[in-house]
Amino acid sequence: MEKNKILLIDDDKDFLIATKLILENGGYEVFLAEDGKSGVEMSKAVSPDLIIIDMMMETWSEGFNVVSKIRTTESGKKLPLIMLSAVDLQGPYNSFEPPEEMPTVDMVLHKPIKAADLLKYVGQLLV
Amino acid sequence: MTKESILIIDDEETIRDGCRQTLQKSGYDVFTAAGGSEGIKMAREIKPFLVFVDLKMPGISGTEVIDILSNDIPDIVLVVITGYASIVSAVESMKKGVYDYLPKPFTPDQLRAVTKRGLEHRNLKIEARRLKEEKESMEKNFITFVSHEMRSPLVTIQQYIEALRSVMGAQLSKDVLDIIERCNKRIQNLQDLVEHWLDVSRIENGTFLKDKKPIGLGSIINKSVEELGPLCERRGLSIRYDVSDNLPDIMGDKESILRVFVNIIGNATKYTPSGGEISVSTEYDDYYVSVNVSDTGIGIPQEHLPFIFESFYRVKGKQERQKGSGLGLTFCKRIMDAYGGKIDVSSKEGKGTTFTLRFPR
Repeated sequence: MEKNKILLIDDDKDFLIATKLILENGGYEVFLAEDGKSGVEMSKAVSPDLIIIDMMMETWSEGFNVVSKIRTTESGKKLPLIMLSAVDLQGPYNSFEPPEEMPTVDMVLHKPIKAADLLKYVGQLLV
Repeated sequence: MTKESILIIDDEETIRDGCRQTLQKSGYDVFTAAGGSEGIKMAREIKPFLVFVDLKMPGISGTEVIDILSNDIPDIVLVVITGYASIVSAVESMKKGVYDYLPKPFTPDQLRAVTKRGLEHRNLKIEARRLKEEKESMEKNFITFVSHEMRSPLVTIQQYIEALRSVMGAQLSKDVLDIIERCNKRIQNLQDLVEHWLDVSRIENGTFLKDKKPIGLGSIINKSVEELGPLCERRGLSIRYDVSDNLPDIMGDKESILRVFVNIIGNATKYTPSGGEISVSTEYDDYYVSVNVSDTGIGIPQEHLPFIFESFYRVKGKQERQKGSGLGLTFCKRIMDAYGGKIDVSSKEGKGTTFTLRFPR
């Protein structure tokens, strides 16, 4: 059986490596992109089955830009997308506010994420 | 560079013309108006740097003109022209923020001198405001920067540890797994420290308590007990609370008070042996609403009580279940100070501790 492909987009290289190990251990083929732009390009090139995007990269809302770009492509319309955030979305005191027309992601998860949780949620989205 | 624009509002034609000539020669852009209403209209359009206003004019008074202009046009500098007889009103208008006055009759030199000073004053005013804004934005960005730059390496290390456990876990001996777990705990502590430190900085820069609303402490107590319920259960503690009927609202923001309660109750869970009890109660009078958090824990020795709200103060030899950041109570005290409230503690070694939070109504 062919492995499901997951694309990880995050500007923290170490975070990419760590998360890649977890996902590969869970039986996925993993592709990495270190910034939003190459992430969008790679999503066209490798046609992943799921993409995990960091919310805060070059700018505080780069993740959202990436999501909207992916969502406008034909293959990206229904692709499962996970947004990762180290910002506490619960608290009212973070200085970041999501843009009004926030493009939809399938799930928002917080960094750091437990290996078991990550694999569980990815598995749910790839059913 | 655009020329510096100056407006002269005076009903005497000779003054208008005299000023125009003098100031144009010095290289300024000069506008004149013969009355208050005309002057206001003109000023709104050209937004002059400096305005000379005659205090005594027919129609709308000079004082009214001053009020309107200083309100409408940012960074405007106002100078009043006045006869010797009306020095008193000139002084009055200076109290309203007018920069200077020019008594009639005046010489071209005097006019130029006042103009020069007035424009310098304007530049200083703008510069001062710019510096103040820059300072504020730096302070704000510093917090944002720190929260991102200090948190992300910690998050990444935790993710590595997680990867290590997930990939290698089955092959590692218990000793090695223990070491990994200890690393994780220490990083968690550091993360808590960063969070608490950020909280304290946010109090200092005023992010907390920005918009105060009437809030009921009952629901916040409820929520904090709910939040800490599972922890109490794990530590074998019972928690009960008793909120007075008709507890009056206080002015504040929910989040900050919730954090105070969670901190104080969380502390109680740390220092209360299994089987103990934590109780939260409320009371109020005409001026204050108070919340008491009591535990049946190990207590704090008297000699330490005066210091426990200080940053990083620790009661030595105390058996903690979990090392704290050393900033929890500092945070609580600062928040209570910001409310104009008070936090008090009483304790008996071996019997327990009570924290009282008193909010003004």
